[in-house]
Amino acid sequence: MTIMTASKEVGAVRPDYRHAYPLLIIVALGVTAALIVRHSLVPKSFGQYGFYRAAALDDEKARLSRHAGRAACAECHEDVVAVHARDAHGSVECETCHGVGGKHIKDNDSPMARAGAKDDCLVCHRLLDARPGSFPQVDWQKHYQFVGVKDNATACVRCHSGHEPLYLDQDLRKARLHPLIQECTSCHIGRTDQTLKKPDGHPQIFQCDYCHPDLAKSFAKVAHAGLRCTTCHLFVKENAFSGRIVRNTNPRFCLLCHRKADFKSDAGPPTIEWPEHIKDVSNDAPDPKRPCVTCHQAQIHDLYRKDAQHAM
Amino acid sequence: MPCDDRISRRQMLKRLAAGAPVALLVTVFPKLAFGVDRKPGEKRPLYAYAVDVSRCIGCCACMRACRSENDVPAGYFRTWVERFRVRGNGEVQVDVAATDDFVFKATPAEDVVKAFFVPKLCNHCEKSVCSQVCPVGASYESPEGVVLVDKKHCVGCGYCVQACPYGTRFIDPVSHTAGKCTLCYHRITRGELPACVLACPKGARMFGDLHDPKSHLSIFLRQRRYRVLKPEMGTHPKCYYTDLDLEVI
Repeated sequence: MTIMTASKEVGAVRPDYRHAYPLLIIVALGVTAALIVRHSLVPKSFGQYGFYRAAALDDEKARLSRHAGRAACAECHEDVVAVHARDAHGSVECETCHGVGGKHIKDNDSPMARAGAKDDCLVCHRLLDARPGSFPQVDWQKHYQFVGVKDNATACVRCHSGHEPLYLDQDLRKARLHPLIQECTSCHIGRTDQTLKKPDGHPQIFQCDYCHPDLAKSFAKVAHAGLRCTTCHLFVKENAFSGRIVRNTNPRFCLLCHRKADFKSDAGPPTIEWPEHIKDVSNDAPDPKRPCVTCHQAQIHDLYRKDAQHAM
Repeated sequence: MPCDDRISRRQMLKRLAAGAPVALLVTVFPKLAFGVDRKPGEKRPLYAYAVDVSRCIGCCACMRACRSENDVPAGYFRTWVERFRVRGNGEVQVDVAATDDFVFKATPAEDVVKAFFVPKLCNHCEKSVCSQVCPVGASYESPEGVVLVDKKHCVGCGYCVQACPYGTRFIDPVSHTAGKCTLCYHRITRGELPACVLACPKGARMFGDLHDPKSHLSIFLRQRRYRVLKPEMGTHPKCYYTDLDLEVI
């Protein structure tokens, strides 16, 4: 306040800024230089989408894909892909076992990995406590002992084909729903409802002998008694109260255990040569689709028939 | 110089009152100020990822696929699978597969009461801290919601590696720049699946467009209850986990 009144008394004095001109020029030059340097250093596309170089997106997009996907495999290996898609490994991509295919597609001489060693299969199927219980896992030492495999180096693919491990007759995904499950929806309307009162005698749908006690009793007497029902009647659990059942009657499914092979000892299950076995025991021409159970039903369990036997 | 630009207390309070809503908008509700459009049906895709933990079998096919697709250097991972094992006394053990062949060995333990696998990868957060801390603008979120690194621009300072709450970044020993999951940006922009999603034999890993209500991911997230990792970090991850257990969060 004092300064202002003083200046008024003296009269209007024009402020003198001359001393600032050199400073202003230096600052202006500095700013210009900085702008020029910034212009040359900051990439052109910087800031187009955000605080980054938009051209980096194109750099990233320009990279080539190496995994080709099964559709590309099917262009040449249609038969294998078709068989593979139907069986239990249907959800497994070709490249998961065989490695990336981009190179092989461009250049046929560059081979894919075979993926046939025991350790290749055990990557997924080794028995681990953290694996979901519904996923098939094997303690390979016990399994080799059970089927009488002499050499521990024997590859899994000597019995189990990698492409059709179970020799399924039909597409797993199109297998029929377990008949009981079709009735579930009469109470469970589109939900596994916890609020519904559980009626007395509610079926235990994942416990076979609950509904099939006669079959379970007869099965306990045969040589196969050590096996689980689901070893042959594959039960594919879809969710908490639904599943599909697959009765596999492909003879090659039985032969998974019962085929004679040089790596098997006599300690395992009885083995046969096939299809020579058909010629030995029958006059019929060997039919690769004729199931073993046509003759060997008694060794499995009494055939489930609605008429005579089941009523007893 | 004369200080004639002084303002009165009244004026000061008036200006503060006028500025407060703007400041509030920017600081307290940044979503309102700089929100991301997430409208179903919008043409621009918003890519996201989902993991169904109950389906993971710990085969690590994802890790092998990622390595061969992206040339990830040995000993570093853009994605990995953790094995959680809860012992009888409540102790939680977490381990990963061997770093050479990515195979989980059977290490028997009698008192394990619960065990499961959890796949991990970059969560491609909507508010990615790694992008925020990058001093040179080399780490960024693409218009499709994918968090990427500009290798030509990155100076390798490692701020983003420290900032990521999920530990998904590393400094690439070859290029000396930040390395991370790109969600296979080069594949997804061509309509292909990320390599890990393609390779997963059980369909535990899922990928899709949140803006497309008919995409596999949108349907999955509509039908299943999911959660994200470390929600308390406020990063808004776009990697959704179903059947995730208490020990993981």
